[in-house]
Amino acid sequence: MSQSGPQVADSPATGTPSRASSPTPPDPTAPSGFARVRGLIGGGGPAVALVVLIAFFSIATPNFFSVSNASSLLSQLSILLVISIGLTFVILLGSLDLSVEGVMASSSLVFVLLAANDRNDLSLGFVALIAGVLTGSLFGLLNGVLHVYLKVPSFMVTLGTGAIGVGLATVLFGGRAPRLMDDGLRGLGFGNVGIFPKLALIAILVLIVALLVQKFTRVGRYGYAIGGDEPVVRLSGVNVERYKVLSFVLAGTGSGIAGVMAAMQLGVGDVSIGAGFQFTAITAVVLGGTALVGGIGGVGKTLVGAAIITVLANGLILLGVNPYVQISVQGLVIVVAVVATGWSLRKRVRAIK
Amino acid sequence: MTTQTPTRPRAAVASGITVKDRVIAVFPLLVLIVLVLLVLTQQPNFLSIASVRGLLESMAPILLLAIGQTFVILTGGIDLSFAVVSSLSTVLLALWLPDMGVGALILVPILACLTGVLTGTVVAFAQIPSFIVSLGAMGLWTGVALTLSSASTIRISAGYDVIGWVTDMRIGGLPVSALIAILLAIIISVAIRVLSRGRALHTMGLAENALLMSGNPTRAYRILAFALCGLFSGLAGVVLASSQYSGGPSLGDTLMLPAIAAVVIGGNAITGGVGGPLKTLVGALIIVVLRVGLNAIGIDPAYEQIIYGAVIIGAVVLTIDRSRLGIVK
Amino acid sequence: MTDTVLEVRNLRKEFRGVVALDDISFELRRHEVVGLIGENGAGKSTLLKVLSGIYKPDGGEILREGKKVTFRTAAESAAAGIGMVHQEQSLVTSISVAENIFLGVEGAGVAAGVYRWGTLRKLAQDQLDKIGSPISPKTRVEHLTFAERQMVELAKALSVEERADSEPVIVLDEPTSVLEGDELEVLFDQIDRLRKFASIVFVSHRLDEVLRVSDRVYVFKDGQCVAVRDRSEVDVDELHRLMVGRESTAEFYHEAKQTAVIGEPVLMEVSNLGKTKAFEDVNFTLRAGEVVGITGVLGSGREELSRVLFGAEGFDQGSITLGGKTVGLRSPVEAVRAGIGYIPAERRIEGIAQGLSVQENIFLADPSTVSAGPFLKPRAAAAAADEWIRKLKIKTPNRGTNISNLSGGNQQKAVLAKWLTSPKLKVLILDHPTRGLDVGAKEDVYGFIRELCARGIGVILLADTLEETIALSHTILVMRDGRVQQTFDAHPGNKPRPVDLVEGMV
Repeated sequence: MSQSGPQVADSPATGTPSRASSPTPPDPTAPSGFARVRGLIGGGGPAVALVVLIAFFSIATPNFFSVSNASSLLSQLSILLVISIGLTFVILLGSLDLSVEGVMASSSLVFVLLAANDRNDLSLGFVALIAGVLTGSLFGLLNGVLHVYLKVPSFMVTLGTGAIGVGLATVLFGGRAPRLMDDGLRGLGFGNVGIFPKLALIAILVLIVALLVQKFTRVGRYGYAIGGDEPVVRLSGVNVERYKVLSFVLAGTGSGIAGVMAAMQLGVGDVSIGAGFQFTAITAVVLGGTALVGGIGGVGKTLVGAAIITVLANGLILLGVNPYVQISVQGLVIVVAVVATGWSLRKRVRAIK
Repeated sequence: MTTQTPTRPRAAVASGITVKDRVIAVFPLLVLIVLVLLVLTQQPNFLSIASVRGLLESMAPILLLAIGQTFVILTGGIDLSFAVVSSLSTVLLALWLPDMGVGALILVPILACLTGVLTGTVVAFAQIPSFIVSLGAMGLWTGVALTLSSASTIRISAGYDVIGWVTDMRIGGLPVSALIAILLAIIISVAIRVLSRGRALHTMGLAENALLMSGNPTRAYRILAFALCGLFSGLAGVVLASSQYSGGPSLGDTLMLPAIAAVVIGGNAITGGVGGPLKTLVGALIIVVLRVGLNAIGIDPAYEQIIYGAVIIGAVVLTIDRSRLGIVK
Repeated sequence: MTDTVLEVRNLRKEFRGVVALDDISFELRRHEVVGLIGENGAGKSTLLKVLSGIYKPDGGEILREGKKVTFRTAAESAAAGIGMVHQEQSLVTSISVAENIFLGVEGAGVAAGVYRWGTLRKLAQDQLDKIGSPISPKTRVEHLTFAERQMVELAKALSVEERADSEPVIVLDEPTSVLEGDELEVLFDQIDRLRKFASIVFVSHRLDEVLRVSDRVYVFKDGQCVAVRDRSEVDVDELHRLMVGRESTAEFYHEAKQTAVIGEPVLMEVSNLGKTKAFEDVNFTLRAGEVVGITGVLGSGREELSRVLFGAEGFDQGSITLGGKTVGLRSPVEAVRAGIGYIPAERRIEGIAQGLSVQENIFLADPSTVSAGPFLKPRAAAAAADEWIRKLKIKTPNRGTNISNLSGGNQQKAVLAKWLTSPKLKVLILDHPTRGLDVGAKEDVYGFIRELCARGIGVILLADTLEETIALSHTILVMRDGRVQQTFDAHPGNKPRPVDLVEGMV
């Protein structure tokens, strides 16, 4: 009988086989450490671009290549990286999460209002931190359930839940930003260890956990498979719904951690604490080489993408370029990256909404 | 040698309209009436001229944005850049009105229309989902608006007369901006009915492949939908600039959610093919009455965002046509 | 242990009132290779999908090793030891060979939720070793050739053995359609190895291959099993005669209404037409009132040819002239403007506009006859729609009914009406116009094709069966591997036999 819809007919990943007849790719020796890293971050274009950018700004501006700027670069990279890592799991499915800013706002306020603060008498310490992160996980769960079980496109669901997140934060906010008074909690993310910003240490920890999840768990592995060819995975008896929802939970958790990190950094909980991150994070993921059609990419690649964006932003400011131009450039980058990956799949008769 | 079993043809159902369709068609109107009645119990003078005037004034830009979005949603796509385009339009008006006068009033909506043409062309020719392309466009035009305005609000002093009438003029005590928007909704509805290709955008949403394989220029239809969305976003920009006496790089951004909410709660299916500007008009009325109503029963405006979010998800859940979705991403 | 590993009794399956499987009984014995043949729509794929748990049967039962079983999902079928190698390849290209082989059933490869890559690859290697494949389990599938992917599919199908108590049943659905030469030999060697420990169902349209590997052959036709033969008692010709079945009934196809088209003006001329990787050097002319039938197996290039002729795909060599003028056919829009119509095989996606009324569907291609300028003349449109519904005997409550609610045959008539309303129509391409229709609707469609010819319209026909092609066409092109192998004159009284066409097809 006929296929249920045109989407099924052109599974994006099923291209023409690339190598004509090489039964086994040459793989006699264990890969070297360098090769492993290349495999992880994808090698090729984005990594080269990052190196070129760093070299360019080091020459073009006197202040770029310095310990203090490296430290501030790492600090700027940290929060973006954590968000982008979470987002990667959802984009690997071919879905999208547009609730980042709302979730960050809510989790930052939940965190600050449960920790010692200047608004109420609560001082729950680590419980506050965990509650802040879990706020993000819960939003992720809500996103996943609404998207997967009610079959609403993910961008639509997350547009709605993002608004709910902003609304919830606005209600908690109550007109004035509550300040985080727990110095112990704040100290977890504020300041440096040596030249290393503490936020960067948190981000590295998140990165390692995410890499392990991606490589060694079902949610990580099935994400690639579902993004590549969902009907086949379903036919294999995999509970596709469960793993899709879990991917959204991972993304929500990422935004939750990011909200808490931002609150530690700024010392307040704020409705607009995530402003601008949504867009930059999607750009970072796409720029790193994770395709919006799903199935291709990974957390390691996102590290490179987020680093490129951060270096570019920092370097251009040092060069005196109008920072707003960067938002336009990011918009173009998203479209160009998607056009480039999708160009060869075009057909005369194809319905794309 | 073989005997084909005679099969009885499936009894055709009496009509294509299901009970669900009927409920969805009437439901928004019922919601609107119930809302108005509820607000009346709190504010007996809610339907006075002054109150209705205020209501319609706040509705005008939302309705214009929502009508524009309706064209795209009918085709089964979405334009996430539409509110940002209206913001950019206010900036351009503020910059150009002093020198160009009426020329700016004509040029800005045309440019807004061209932003839609650009988005639509990329979607149609590169065959990329519209929410991604328009997300990119949203970033692009945000950056442009911020750069041109240096990220600040620009007051319109010289040349305000050219757009001032949009806010000041009244017909029968009602604001001309809202009346024009409502008139446009009615004109488009009539056009959909009387033109031989009037339902082309609906058919795009229902059966794009069949439309193309019948020799219809589907790419052109798609670009048209985005172009109209851009044009109406530009008109919304004119209304906003007029009512705020200024242009600002994020002046229209906050209208994105209410406008999308208006489209979907009016009963336009996000999967495309079902709906029209009159449904959107009902949706826009629901949104503004809801806003006044919440105020009337003493709910903090802080909850507004939560309600928009819930309304969008709820309306989409109710109206989405799951039978026509393959894999949902 | 019984000697029958898999049995199907009185299986029945309907789709929207059309019978796909009618009282099918089928038996697979231990270590046996059974061939399954039949034309498109004979019911082979439906049977396989029932066996693999994708379709739920409407009647009858399935027995595995003598025990009654029901498969609600593909996973349940696999758990019972039935491994499928699908016609459309069913590997996820974005993950590794090892992950594909054990997708969803990793077993010891995932312990306590953590992937043990060493174990998983070792387990996959065991499966690959079974068929002697040198493919590395670490390779991502997107880097494999089609033939290599076929081997991985086989390894995946064989892995069901590890999880079931019984010996595996391996179902190969058209496994040879993407293979060539040496690759074919490799597959046949594998089948010989497999039969030592597995039982095999082999589905193919290449009859010589079926005869070569099968012990017995089941012949399907119109959803029924019409013959079972041992290999020793049949040859290719006999199998083909069984498959095509009934003697052509001239009345069924309205053959009396077929008229000669010698000397009629040429409508369309196709010269040296070629499309990379699809077909090349295609030449033919289409005269007013002529039916040119194009036949060939999957992959022969005829599907692509028909879509190129409607502008739905591009061509890169040769030319097409219409009424003496060269046309570029860069899109369906240009094709329709030039007077070409198309009735697609994918009726529900490309034919009807689901959700629109019957009337709107009838005027989808060309509303000009019921318009004044850009405006619709509502009364004229309604009257014209009613007239078409009456003329084509479209069974519908009224013209405003949503076309999705009509039966397949009536939908197809509305699609036909869509083209008949256009005064510009010169050439109509029919891509499997009777697919999925019941007998009555088929006969109606044949009648309309005769009437089209009488109106002087040229028809290009890709039929479901050889019988249809022979009965309806004036000229028949037989395609294989992207080339026209033979051209037959099929005027009344001069019809070729199905066997004559088959020679050029395989």
